[in-house]
Amino acid sequence: MAIKQHDVLIVGSGHSGGMAAKILTEKGISCLMLNAGPEADLQRDRTMKSAHELPYRGFGQPGRLPHVFQANEFNANQWVDEKENPYTHPPEAPYNWVRVRLLGGRSLFWARQSFRLSDYEFKPAEIDGTGDNWPISLADLAPYYSRVEQIFRVSGRKEGWPQFPDGDFTDSSFPPDTESIKRFTEVATKKGIRVSKWRFAQGRDGLASSINLLLPDALATGKLDIVENAIVREITVDKNTGLANGAYFLDRHSGREMHVKARVIVLAAGCLETTRLLLNSGICNSSGVMGHYLVDQMYGVSVVASIPEARDGKAPENLMGGSAFMPRFRNLSKKDKRDFIKGYCLHVSSGGDASQHFFPLYGEELQSKLDSYAGSCVSAGIFGERVPRYENHVRINKDVKDAWGIPVLHIEARDSENELNLRRDAANTAEELFHDAGWEVICKTDQVNPPGYSIHEVGTCRMGDNPKTSVLNKWSQAHDMKNLVVVDGASFVTAGWQNPTMTILSLSMRASEHLGDEMRQGSV
Amino acid sequence: MKRRKFVQNLLAAPAVAPLAAQTQTQQQRPSTQPNTPARQDPRQPHEIAQLAVTEVDLVSATHPYFFTADQFSALQKLAAVLVPPLKGKPGAIDAHAPEFLDFLISVSPEERQSLYRNGLEGLNRAAQDQFHTNFHGLEAKQVDTIIRPLLIARYWPQDMPDDPMKHFMAQVHDDLRTATANSREWAENGPAPFTGRRRRFNRGRGMYWRPVDPVVRG
Ligand SMILES: Cc1cc2nc3c(=O)[nH]c(=O)nc-3n(C[C@H](O)[C@H](O)[C@H](O)COP(=O)(O)OP(=O)(O)OC[C@H]3O[C@@H](n4cnc5c(N)ncnc54)[C@H](O)[C@@H]3O)c2cc1C
Repeated sequence: MAIKQHDVLIVGSGHSGGMAAKILTEKGISCLMLNAGPEADLQRDRTMKSAHELPYRGFGQPGRLPHVFQANEFNANQWVDEKENPYTHPPEAPYNWVRVRLLGGRSLFWARQSFRLSDYEFKPAEIDGTGDNWPISLADLAPYYSRVEQIFRVSGRKEGWPQFPDGDFTDSSFPPDTESIKRFTEVATKKGIRVSKWRFAQGRDGLASSINLLLPDALATGKLDIVENAIVREITVDKNTGLANGAYFLDRHSGREMHVKARVIVLAAGCLETTRLLLNSGICNSSGVMGHYLVDQMYGVSVVASIPEARDGKAPENLMGGSAFMPRFRNLSKKDKRDFIKGYCLHVSSGGDASQHFFPLYGEELQSKLDSYAGSCVSAGIFGERVPRYENHVRINKDVKDAWGIPVLHIEARDSENELNLRRDAANTAEELFHDAGWEVICKTDQVNPPGYSIHEVGTCRMGDNPKTSVLNKWSQAHDMKNLVVVDGASFVTAGWQNPTMTILSLSMRASEHLGDEMRQGSV
Repeated sequence: MKRRKFVQNLLAAPAVAPLAAQTQTQQQRPSTQPNTPARQDPRQPHEIAQLAVTEVDLVSATHPYFFTADQFSALQKLAAVLVPPLKGKPGAIDAHAPEFLDFLISVSPEERQSLYRNGLEGLNRAAQDQFHTNFHGLEAKQVDTIIRPLLIARYWPQDMPDDPMKHFMAQVHDDLRTATANSREWAENGPAPFTGRRRRFNRGRGMYWRPVDPVVRG
């Protein structure tokens, strides 16, 4: 039997790989997608259970997923097993790398908050004089954002604010604000902080994934083959041309090694797996910046207030419930002088309960306190911008290998003084707003989770115009190898405070269209 | 071909089996050796009724063995005091939370094991020093004298206090509440769990993911 040949090899099946497959196959280009894990069968692989039916009563197997704070015993099997696929970090600098290898990757489980980056993130050097510019601006990406927002059915309220670019929303209707949200909006507005609403991908049937919104279209063209349980370990290079020409991969079950050829390689394994694969292959790093500038967002700052008149179950109708979203409001003009650069968004939700941890009490006394505060709370959190820094990096740790013998990543990422000052400001600001609203603050912390916790890691193969200081060009092609394209978050230059997936999808769409055109013209 | 589709095709197989299926049939012919499994017809399992099996906790109790008798009695006392039965819901003792934690800690990393062992010993020591008996033998007021100074407010749940006894108290309090709220006894006693709608560890019922196509290593 003759082996079927494909033009493009796509590694990874999440948002980024799914989008590349859709765009390329719709242009008539044949693609092979290799995905490290299996396809889940949502009927067979999931079932309703009670916590007491689980082996560890809902606590989870101790020590199994020490870095995945999002894991619990119900969902433990959806994440990458840290024993099978480990990574290392300095003991004093933990990093949370949260991975999914099922077909569809993390698109099966993401929380669907959907924002565009603004030129504050694309052009920081021009706008606020801090950090590196991307080689593209919002105007370059805007048409792609619009198309992605339509496919993912993003809802949101249009505002016209430069730091919070509006999308092509499919739904802009929100229920009227409750009295607590109105009160909060009033005090925030008085302080010059603009209040908006969440932006959210509705998707279809509760899922906004590559497996329901992207891959079916690609398969329908007849131009896509998907192979599951195929772990790519090395990209191969044609010695004569110096171009990528295929990849070695291992069957996840048996370890059988395979090789596949392709004219073009599209990497969509998620920012850090893509970087690991490139570093293990020893290619595309003439700049020396591959693996550097790892960045994500800070999550964790938390301030909770209780509204006195809502306690003891006495909340008047329409006082509690609802939410407010304040996009970045710090350092938007050079006049705003702070002890940190960049900013954060603040999100507030009303109608929650107090946590048992807030009170140094026990037994009946604790329970009556919790009962009294139930439903009376308003909580604030942030997504805080981290500044990309060269020293936050990943490299290959040759001494540790995964279950398939592939060397793992060593990850080193630490926060700086800037992050510390930013999160202090966030906690103080939220506290002040709650005080102004006349509410009792019952919890305030400026602590944040370790880097990686946001599951928004980006930046380790940054794009740029200069091949000496960047890995990819503005079309996400490797400077060193035009037929190798990285379509996941590795290409980011800055992360901003915004969740990255709308940008990943738009960049993947843009890169794939450009690639398709170049392949047509024969220039790739 | 995908396994699922493969099985579906197999079930809908025509009377004359295709070549691949025939080959398979030959390979699976029963061996003449004794003690080899009989050939399996893929259709059979669907026709055999599922038998009812009983949940282990309904017919047996956890056998605690990890903590010493003194440590375990201190844990029981803590359970009774920190999470008593309230509003018709079972308390930690009714939910066999101490027995469950004996098991959970026995399979936990060493750090957690010493936190518990030292913490429980610390309570017994304090009880001896202040009241000349072990922790289990204390009156409610005496228990309060010992544990109240060890309780702290935590605004960042992962942020455990540096003081090992305060750290232990925070941990055991969390664990006893979770082990109680996640117990069968609790589930059978009506819905209203501990106040708190956003529960980190998904108490009660939830969507459980089975291992997906797990790799079997020999
Ligand atoms: C719980 C959760 C909540 C989130 N919430 C949000 C949110 O609200 N908003 C937002 O913008 N983002 C959110 N995210 C992040 C978002 O999911 C990711 O940004 C996005 O899905 C990344 O897509 P990707 O295609 O780059 O990578 P992935 O989804 O990680 O896909 C990578 C794929 O590559 C495959 N792969 C990896 N290595 C190999 C290899 N060596 N060989 C072959 N295949 C390989 C994997 O199997 C995987 O399927 C969330 C993530 C999670 C987990």
